[in-house]
Amino acid sequence: MNIEIWMTIIGLGGASFAIRLSGYLLASQIPQDGMWARALQALPGCLIASLVSLMMLNGTMLEWISAVMVLAIAAITRKPTLAMFAGMVIIAAMRFAIA
Amino acid sequence: MSVAAATYGLAFGLLATQSGFNIFQTISMSALVFGGSSQLVAMEQLSIGLGAASAILAGSALNMRILLVTATMRNVLASRPWWQVGLGTFFATDASVALMQSAKPRNMTTSYWYFFGGGASLYVIWIAVTAIGAIVSSGVPNPQAIGLDFAIIAIFVATLPGMWRGTKDVLPWLLASGIVLIWGTLFPEYASWGLIGGAVIGAICAGLNNEH
Repeated sequence: MNIEIWMTIIGLGGASFAIRLSGYLLASQIPQDGMWARALQALPGCLIASLVSLMMLNGTMLEWISAVMVLAIAAITRKPTLAMFAGMVIIAAMRFAIA
Repeated sequence: MSVAAATYGLAFGLLATQSGFNIFQTISMSALVFGGSSQLVAMEQLSIGLGAASAILAGSALNMRILLVTATMRNVLASRPWWQVGLGTFFATDASVALMQSAKPRNMTTSYWYFFGGGASLYVIWIAVTAIGAIVSSGVPNPQAIGLDFAIIAIFVATLPGMWRGTKDVLPWLLASGIVLIWGTLFPEYASWGLIGGAVIGAICAGLNNEH
């Protein structure tokens, strides 16, 4: 695990810098609009939507209820970290109530 | 902007320790990657045992959008020495776009040192709060009792409304989620490929859809 963590840190660090630098170097080749720009802009949202689906695939009922409440809090307040801490409190309270 | 980065960094520090990162690894990741959601995704992939390659791939996919950020910084960086180009692009984040937008109405020139200062101060805050999160988290005896194990799911769910760009996201997101759910049910041991596949196909769908 330790080696995997370091490989990830160094690998992702290198890849992220390469992405940043190539944006500058390839600026004239990267379209600011059109199909590829739309796809690049949509990629983060699609990845997070995929990741949440993957995490919830094996989620318990308590996790599902808490996740829906986190989504609602985040959508209303637009403060993701506040919603995260609220979610922690909600699931901890439900676990305490059941136990 | 700094406050948002600070709370997000704190969350990353808390979660990294719970995922088996030591404080030195947590700080190194923040210092080298400097991308909140990308770090979180990579860490999550590692913690569920999918390995370094999968973690790097998923983290990089999230950072691909920075290509568009540094591409728009071209005018500011052109004719600068190579080390200034390196530093300027290294500090580029989503916040750089916000800096550019906030500079325009105030009639400020989006100069190199304006970007450098904004990026560098965010970088220092980012590393500092990550370290604080890691220190605080390592003192928690029973993470489940305070819901810390749920925090990683919660932070990604909470990120969704901010990423939502309106009805044009409906089809790509449904497609991405659907692929993940079907693939994950059919081939649970290769679930991470469903993640990348779903995200890429969803993004291509968004690219092909010409409506705004």
